This record gives sequence, C-alpha cells and structure tokens, in this order.
Amino acid sequence: MVATVERAAAVAPVRRRAPMRRRQARTALAFLAPALLFFALLFFYPLFRELYTSVFTGPRADVYAGFGNYTKAFGDPVARHAFWVTVQYGLGVVVGAIVLGLVLAVILNQRMRGRSVFRGILLVPYLTSIAIVGLLWRNILDPDTGVLNRALHSVGLPTQNLLAEHPLATLVAIAIWQQVGYTTVLFLAGLQGIPGLYYEAAEVDGASVWRRFRHVTLPLLAPTTLFVSVIGVISAMQEFALPYLVTQGGPDNASDLYVYQVWKTAFGFRDFGYASALSYLLLIVILVLSLIQLKVGQRGES
Amino acid sequence: MASPERNRNDRLFPGARGVGYALVLVVCLLTVIPLAYMISLSLQSDGEILAGNPVLWPAHPHFDNYQRLFDQVPYARFFVNSIVMAGTITVAHLILDPLAGYAFAKFSFPFKRTLFIAVLATLMVPFFVRMIPVYVLFSQLGWLNSYQGLVVPFLCDAYGIFLMRQFLAALPDELIDAGRADGAGELRIFFRIILPQAKPALAVLALFTFVFQWNNFLWPLLATSTTDMRTMPVGLTMFNQEFFTQWNLTAAGAVVLFVPTAVLFFFTQRYLVRGVALTGLK
Repeated sequence: MVATVERAAAVAPVRRRAPMRRRQARTALAFLAPALLFFALLFFYPLFRELYTSVFTGPRADVYAGFGNYTKAFGDPVARHAFWVTVQYGLGVVVGAIVLGLVLAVILNQRMRGRSVFRGILLVPYLTSIAIVGLLWRNILDPDTGVLNRALHSVGLPTQNLLAEHPLATLVAIAIWQQVGYTTVLFLAGLQGIPGLYYEAAEVDGASVWRRFRHVTLPLLAPTTLFVSVIGVISAMQEFALPYLVTQGGPDNASDLYVYQVWKTAFGFRDFGYASALSYLLLIVILVLSLIQLKVGQRGES
Repeated sequence: MASPERNRNDRLFPGARGVGYALVLVVCLLTVIPLAYMISLSLQSDGEILAGNPVLWPAHPHFDNYQRLFDQVPYARFFVNSIVMAGTITVAHLILDPLAGYAFAKFSFPFKRTLFIAVLATLMVPFFVRMIPVYVLFSQLGWLNSYQGLVVPFLCDAYGIFLMRQFLAALPDELIDAGRADGAGELRIFFRIILPQAKPALAVLALFTFVFQWNNFLWPLLATSTTDMRTMPVGLTMFNQEFFTQWNLTAAGAVVLFVPTAVLFFFTQRYLVRGVALTGLK
C-alpha cells in the first residue's frame, strides 16, 4: 500500500496535494458546522432581525415607521435621561474600579503573607450571582429594616436612606464592590508582565519610588488600563439587574439605566419596534467603543 | 512569567507597606462582612428578623430555615433547573468550542480568516441586542418556558473557541499526523488524541461557563414564566417579591445558590485566576 502511494506520488506529484487539501477543508467545515450554525441563527440572524424590527411600530411591531423610532429616541426625554444616567453610572463604576483595583494590585504585587487569600476573597463577589448581590444590598440598605441603619442607630449615628437620596451613587458603589476583584486580577496580570529590568534601570538613575510608579508602572500598564476601562464601560452600559433588583430605576428615574429602560419598553409597554431602535442606538455606541479599543490596542502592540 | 529577578516592581514606599496592608484588610472585610451577614440572616428566626438587631451570628441558629425553604417554596425544582441549564450549556461548550477551535488552529480551508473574524465579531454583539429577537423567535417556536429555551442561546461562544484555538495551536502537528498514519478517523483523532491534551484549557472553560450560567439572571428571567421553570437566581427574586418579609428564607435561598460557586472557586482558585487574566487580556 505504501508502495502504491509512493508510485502515485511519483507519477502525479502535483495532483496528490489537491484532494488532501479538499479533504482537510471538508473535515474542517464539518468540525465548524455546529458553531457556525449557532452563530448564524443566534447572533447574526437576531442582529438583522433587531434592525428590521426597529423600523416598525405598534403593539405587534407591524406598522412601518421608517426612521421614526430613531428620531423619536433622540427627542425622547426618558431615553435621553436613561442614556446620560448610564454614562454617569459607567464612568463612576469604571473610574472607581480602576483606581481601587490598581491600588490593590500594586499592594498585592508585593511579597506579602496571604496575598493569594486576599486576592481570592476579592474575587468572590465577582463570581456571585447578581441576584444575590442585588437582594443582599437591598436588604442591607433598606431604610427601615436594613442592618446598616440599625447598626448606625445602635451606635447613635444618624440613619441614612441611601437608596432614596443617592440611588445612582449607591448602585455605582455596589457595582464596584462586585467588580473590583476582577479589575485587581487584570492589573496584577499586567504588573507581572512588566520586566524587572525597567525598574532596575530607573533605580540606577536614582528615580524615587513614586517616580518609578509614575514613569514606569503607569505607562507600561496603559494597555491594561485601556482594556479594563473599555470592557468596563461596555459592560456597565448593559447593566440591567441592579436597577431591576435594587431600585426599579427610581426614585424619579434617578437610577433608570438604559438597558432597564429598553426592557421596560419591550416587555412592559410591549413596544418592540421602539425598544429595538433603542437597542440599536446603544449597539452603535458600544461598537464605536470596541473599535477604538481594537485600534489603540493594535497600535500599542506594533 | 514570574522570573525570580523581576521583583523590583514589588517594592512600595517605605512605610507604605503597613498602610497598604491595612487598606487590603479593610477592603477584604467590606467584601466578606455582607456575605457573612447573608449567612447569618439565613439562620435567624422570624422573630429575630422582625426585631432586626444586627448580629453576625444568631444565638440560636435556625437551620430549619433551609428545611422550610425546600418545603414552602419549590426550591428543589429551581435547583434542578439551574443544574440542567448550567450543566447542559457547559457540556455543549466542552464539545463545540474545541471542535471549532481545533478547526481554526490546525486546518486550512477556504474563507478561514473571514469565518474566524465573523466568529470573533460576535463578541461585540451584546446580549441585549439578541434579547428581543431571540425572545420573539422562541415564542414562535414555542420554546419559551422550556429547557431548550433556557439552553439554546448559550450553546457555544467565541471566547471559548478563541481560548481553545490558542491552546490547540500550540500542540505539535505530529500528534495529528501520527493519528492519521495509524489510520484513525478525524473525529477519533480529535476525541482520543487532541481533547485529552487540552484538559487544562477545558477545565478553565468548564469553570467559567458553569459559573457564568449558574448565575445567569436576565435570560432565565425573560424566558421562563411559570414557577416550575424558574432557575434559582430568578426563583429567589420572585420568591422575595411574593414573601418579601421573609428575609431569612430569601437569604437561605441565596446561600444555597452561593455555596456551589464558592466551593468550586475554593478548589480551583488558581485556574480561575489564571483564566480571568487569560481571557481578560486577549
């Protein structure tokens, strides 16, 4: 059999490779088929379907509206308000998680006792269901029955109604509480990637610890920081569960985040066309952010 | 990565070490105390809940709250639904993601680059964009409020495919050639030779997929409408709305939902941390 193959190869050296290639292609496509089918039906079809729905209006999304839903969105004070609330929320969560995460990462990057335990503890909320996080904090912060106020009261301090007085800031704080461990781990990975050589060189030049941090650590962490901020903003823009579970967007829509608003528009008011247009507008914002990250990320690599 | 001579960047200001240590301790306490309080809450009697004195450990812990949780609420059913959802999706990922990743890593075929970019592009399609159309599609198919409705939108994902491609590309081609020389079929080579080599990557993939789906909230909330189809995260919040004064039972439900992830995390921390760093940073 080996001899036949060799002879065939000798006779037609060029033609031998083509069927082999075709066989490879066939195998590869067979291996890819389930995944490609999945992406076609559950990512690309919905993407186009959403765009299609967004030009219709009415309770059954069957009245053609052209760009009507989009122009409506730009003039809609509720949607605009939800967008700006979401921007504030996203900036708050990202800046908070980055500053705290960077500080914690720099500290935990030292040789210190129990640092993997600390790192582990910080990651636990990140792996905890948002349903737990939401219910837990709603319980703790409840003005009448919550443990925070009861604890404040029992030591004679004035009680707070954070969810009523600072709803958005409170949601930001809860989100930071949940996510800071994740940010810390990403920054730790970034710090590990900085070669010690740079620090030695800086030390030889007599740079102080602060200057080393400012001129070596920070610039070399820039790709990590960019990555963390972009994915942070993108995921904050999609936050749904916290307003749904903790504040119901209130009081007075003060914590009415965008995707929660889309949810209410679609499944509360049954306006699928308008909700689709609102989704598409947010998608465009998120795509622009992703592309910026890709572009800057590539420039950083070359 | 961590070479012995790197550690010049681990020095803080003199004196800052103590401050840093204190800060880490404070943040860790702020992380742990709410979760510990949740466990405490789950053990308090109805009377203690109403009296509402902040205690970190009740004098007479009421473990029967957990019994009541399963008696008064179909929590066992929620638990099973969560297992079915997270388990099925995890198994699907462990087959479909490496299959596709392997094809991208080791085969050449037309439009490979285009298809790979198309797969990666799905990473930019957030769930809220799929939410309405998939809901409408599934309601036409009659798949809402069913297991296939819970599972199908998450059967495989681009992160997993990318992770597996990176890992499998590093495996030597000789492994595959040896299998072919032995006359093994391509599927046999994949399942018998390639997959066993990929165990560390598969472990990370399985952990992430399971934990993420175990905690998934938005889609099960949308896709299920009857009590018997709720998963734990959704059942918990529904239950909380219906019996909102029973915080001890709600907390017990939260602990039941929380413990499996916590245990899983405890035993696989190193892989998970590496996984976060790996999938987080391309």
